[in-house]
Amino acid sequence: MAEILIENGFVFDPLNGINGERMDIAIKNGKIVRSVNTQKAKKINAAGLTVMPGGVDVHTHVAGHEVNTGRMIRPEDHVKDVVRKTGLTRSGVGYSIPTTFVTGYRYSKMGYTTVMNPSMAPLGAKHTHEELNDIPMLDKATFPLLGDWWFVLENLQKGDLEGCARHVAWMMETTKGYAIKIVNPGGLESWGFGRNVHSIDDVVPNFDITPRDIMCGLAKVNKMLNLPHTIHLHTNNLGIPGNYVTTLETMKALESVATDGKPVAHITHVQFSSFAGDNWGNLRSGAEEISKYINNHSHMTLDMGQIIFSDTTTMTADGPFEFTLYQLSGRKWVNSDVETETSGGIIPMHYKRKSAVNATQWSIGLELALLIKDPWKIFMTTDHPNAGPFFEYPKILAWLTSKKARLATLAKCHKKAQKKSLLPSINRELSLYELAVVTRAGQAKALGLKGKGHLGVGADADVAIYNINPETLDIAKKYKTARKAFGSAVYTIKDGQVVVKDGEIVQTVDGRTMWLDIETAEEIEIGEEMKRKFKQYWTVEYENYPVFDHYVKVPEAITVKASV
Amino acid sequence: MSVINAVTCPICGCLCDDIEVTVVENEVVKVKNGCAVCEAKYLGYKSKHRIRQPLIRKDGELVPTSMKEAVHRAGEILANAKYPILYGWSSTNSEAQRIGVELAEEVGGVLDNTAVVCHGPSLMGTQEAGIPTSTLGQIRHRADLIIYWGCDPWSAHPRHLERYTSFTEGRFEDSEWKSYINKVKAAAGRKKLLSAQRVAKKKPEVTVAESEAFNKPPETLQKEGRKLIVIDVRKSMTAEMADYFIQVEPNKDYELMQAMRAMVKDEDLDIDQVAGVPMEYLKEVVDTLVNCKFGVVFFGMGLTQSAGKFRNIEVAISLIRDLNLRTKFVIMPMRGHFNVSGANIVFAWQSGYSFGIDFSLGYPRYNPGETTSMDVLLRGESDAALVVASDPVATFPKKAVQHLVKHPLIVIDPHMNPTAMLGDVVFPSAFVGIEVEGTAYRMDTVPLPLKKVVEPPEGVMSDEEILKKILEEVRTIKAKNTKNRMGGA
Amino acid sequence: MIVLTPLGKFRFPVHAECINPDVFKEKSVAEIASLSVWEGNRKKKLGDLFKIEEVSDETLGITINGDVSKVRRVGQGMKAGEIVINGNAGMHLGEKMAGGKITVNGNAGGWTGSSMKKGLIEIHGDASDYLASPYRGSTDGMKGGRIVVDGNVGSDSGCYLRGGVIIVRGKAGPFLGFHISKGVIYVEKSAGNRLGASMTGGKIVVSGAIDELMPTFTIAGVKAKVKIDETFKAQGPFYVFLGDLAEKGNGKLFVSKNSNSHLKQYEKFL
Repeated sequence: MAEILIENGFVFDPLNGINGERMDIAIKNGKIVRSVNTQKAKKINAAGLTVMPGGVDVHTHVAGHEVNTGRMIRPEDHVKDVVRKTGLTRSGVGYSIPTTFVTGYRYSKMGYTTVMNPSMAPLGAKHTHEELNDIPMLDKATFPLLGDWWFVLENLQKGDLEGCARHVAWMMETTKGYAIKIVNPGGLESWGFGRNVHSIDDVVPNFDITPRDIMCGLAKVNKMLNLPHTIHLHTNNLGIPGNYVTTLETMKALESVATDGKPVAHITHVQFSSFAGDNWGNLRSGAEEISKYINNHSHMTLDMGQIIFSDTTTMTADGPFEFTLYQLSGRKWVNSDVETETSGGIIPMHYKRKSAVNATQWSIGLELALLIKDPWKIFMTTDHPNAGPFFEYPKILAWLTSKKARLATLAKCHKKAQKKSLLPSINRELSLYELAVVTRAGQAKALGLKGKGHLGVGADADVAIYNINPETLDIAKKYKTARKAFGSAVYTIKDGQVVVKDGEIVQTVDGRTMWLDIETAEEIEIGEEMKRKFKQYWTVEYENYPVFDHYVKVPEAITVKASV
Repeated sequence: MSVINAVTCPICGCLCDDIEVTVVENEVVKVKNGCAVCEAKYLGYKSKHRIRQPLIRKDGELVPTSMKEAVHRAGEILANAKYPILYGWSSTNSEAQRIGVELAEEVGGVLDNTAVVCHGPSLMGTQEAGIPTSTLGQIRHRADLIIYWGCDPWSAHPRHLERYTSFTEGRFEDSEWKSYINKVKAAAGRKKLLSAQRVAKKKPEVTVAESEAFNKPPETLQKEGRKLIVIDVRKSMTAEMADYFIQVEPNKDYELMQAMRAMVKDEDLDIDQVAGVPMEYLKEVVDTLVNCKFGVVFFGMGLTQSAGKFRNIEVAISLIRDLNLRTKFVIMPMRGHFNVSGANIVFAWQSGYSFGIDFSLGYPRYNPGETTSMDVLLRGESDAALVVASDPVATFPKKAVQHLVKHPLIVIDPHMNPTAMLGDVVFPSAFVGIEVEGTAYRMDTVPLPLKKVVEPPEGVMSDEEILKKILEEVRTIKAKNTKNRMGGA
Repeated sequence: MIVLTPLGKFRFPVHAECINPDVFKEKSVAEIASLSVWEGNRKKKLGDLFKIEEVSDETLGITINGDVSKVRRVGQGMKAGEIVINGNAGMHLGEKMAGGKITVNGNAGGWTGSSMKKGLIEIHGDASDYLASPYRGSTDGMKGGRIVVDGNVGSDSGCYLRGGVIIVRGKAGPFLGFHISKGVIYVEKSAGNRLGASMTGGKIVVSGAIDELMPTFTIAGVKAKVKIDETFKAQGPFYVFLGDLAEKGNGKLFVSKNSNSHLKQYEKFL
């Protein structure tokens, strides 16, 4: 395999403490190496350019039943953004729910190389993997939804943590998943009969268990299994005014599980869970309260879920929440409950500057990212496409690094939101180093992806080179220039191959699907009891349930040694 | 002899995956758990209509040819076509469907599947209104009110009730099987009584006909446990089993559903009846809907192919949405072919659209009535076609078929069906789900693996392999054409 | 003014968004002839399919002489100028039009004036289905402007109308004015069933017979005349119905009393 030498760039590699140092990066056989044969190596002149590890997106809905149903019901979204076939690339459509090929190409053009698909109903896992196979250019993984799975609810209700851990391990392997995803715990099972939970201590009908039990139980299970990421949590009461209280309660509940100072849970798209006030009329930001807590604790990581003012599509496993959105907006609404496991919903959403509520939401996301002092605790996402399409990420980078950019957008917002916003009083502007943390290093670390998010020797050779010269470009002042640069990488390198040059695809590659091969102390036996229950609980045969090996085109099994 | 368990049946949208197949010397000899249609397919797929080798039309006759020649001819037809149609896709696996998208994109043609004569309106309805739905297991566990509207599962999806609805044991609801048996016994008893009365020349108390004329909603609609309502224009086999059969006037389902929507919202209507249903009975029905714990409407061609078409589905979905403001309700289309759902799903993740996709401008476009194969044929716009895993000559209107066969027609099918008989290049393919493995998607979009239980006949390939060969050939021919156009050798 | 004459009979669909006064503006005949169009899956030049001549009369106009029923998206999004088609027009004529005028001396295809914003479209023959109606999944109906059809219109016309006026001098097919929220639709002859289904506002006026009223409308009175636009008032008497109750709507259906004796039964509610 080719050798590449990226010469003389400004390197930002936070996991290895490198902050804009001018240095060379050497690549051989798809990995970062100490040095290469300078005669044979292909040279990339990165003088005056910013070199970062390839982008890592911790939470983006890009594959599976939910995403695809969104595609199927929104032809009017697709016609806004058509993508022609070229000699090298497939055709498709973009905008808020891009087709699989376009998803891969567009992320790659922005310098991203790894994405996490955060919601997979286990029953539909084969579908998710079939779609992941058709996303080129990126390494991917996906998280099975386990928070309302009957086996989890029953085991935790009995207090059988080990039993729960074994079932979770089985499910993780069976669905070729990467992390435990929990959405509105208890709420999804309640939604099976049209109900919901409203606090972490509500009892889930028919199951005699609370959301608190589910979250803490699974957080403990996660530790017992030594999974690389923590539990990935979408809180109860998401999107409800006043819900920051629930979020604080959730984080407090999880304090007891944290015993070694390391994170035990990741709250995703936390903007939606940081509302103060008690109705849509007096909605205001709960960012200060949440940030204060996070600044004083170290057992949580978060991602933003930043609003983009755009027409987009919401899609989550939080069926009852999507129904609430339907009641508010009257727009076309999809609901998809999955037997024994989870639920889901989809509804189009248009975030407008002139909507006081949307503008406040926009402000909340940024306030959280800026008020939380440690960038290793909160990462940049839009919960694509829920708060906005991923191709708008450069806008968020501009808002994070430039007060001028923030205020320019704020000035166009509803007056009420302008008055309430904390942004005018926040002067902090993220540096390029911090940007590298919130868009790649931090995510990789939280996900436990050893070879991603950094450029140290042994890392995967996933590199992004942007046209930003930190010595001559003031990204806070010239944020539009910086925005453009982040939207179109000068080079994207995937596994040591140049795949993007000057914002265009020059080579297509497949990318790998990572999944966890969990080694428990004893081989997990699927007894007759389990098989019998299987037949009762699901409408498919036990034998047909797993994601067989051939479903994953380019697999990367990551071995995990469980303590169970 | 080998007994293979957990086989997924490749016939209808039920996609039952508990079939047990016994194979002796590469032949299926016994089928367990399947319905009559399943058994018929597994035991009868090796018919004399099976095509054994590629055929090509020479001097008006279909004659055997080599795979190489057939592939070349097919490649030429598609590479040179200005507006080809690639149709079918519903009875094959998702692996073949993916190649289909790539091929349609490569040749700049119209990619369409059998939804265009079936549940296309359902897909269009969801584009207008969304769809509150669930997987079939949710019905089994929770549904206490099951409605079949404009469909007859007893005939078209035989195991639907026993696997997913009224006659299943769920976590929260029991099977209604016993009460159904009692009802059948009671009906048999009544019949005996009536015939005895006729023999004794006594005037029967009530004629069977009278008791059928718009009947009042029975008491059983108030019971605990699962209830079954069938709404149709005629009393189908499924209706015979229902707690309540509502006979709706043909082509008036739209009015009925819109009226029900208003009633769910407590609006008073100035009418005595709608679609032939008296208002006082309709009020009771709406009460039943609103007071159930978990209701489901399954629907079929009765709604998608009667006057209103996609707007019938749109209003049905709107009714379910409105019902969700008062209780829990879902709706689901009864997909016909075992993998038509898969065709829609695969097409959508690769192109954004689920059927009627036009690649002629270099990117996918979708507009039923403009880009759907049927309409393209009716307007005489296409100049070639590839048909796989379907039989349009048997199912399309005459005028469309006339245009279809007027131009070069490539057919990929196991059988010498009417479409193959009129083809210009015919490829024999193996049966997915019997001779070829792969993935299919159930009517509720759950993906299931299909098994290979026997070997296909010698020389017969899978749809996927044939399509890959044709795609490669098209690319070779196009590359040559480009080279020639550029003044090359 | 540019005159386009088809060079032959069209066999395959032709996509020609470039036939638009905004696009032709300030271009020479040679430049116009080299504009891109698609014929089936082949990219062509406008000059390959049409004879193009310039007639100097200072108007920002385009005249097409011939059958262009297979030519789609003519006048799409145009902001000013005039297009006259002496023949039948294809689908998506004047879609998203924002000004100017289109005249068709013949019939028009589906989705004519789809999501129109401003301007005037006159069809002297029949219009097909989806007149002025938005694209699949969209609720962006016609917002303004005026469409006049001398002949008949097909089904699903005027869906999601939210402004402007549609006048049909012939008959209308089913689902006319589906989900209209604002604006006026007038039909001189008969209208098909599901008239005004799911309407939430606006006015639909029918001087001819209707098959059957949707069950979700209620009678509000009888009116002698109703205003269509600045130019005319339709002569009644009209039954006035309010609905669609399924949407808790405030739309008004004006249906000719004399042509609809089967609706007499509603009088008892007055």
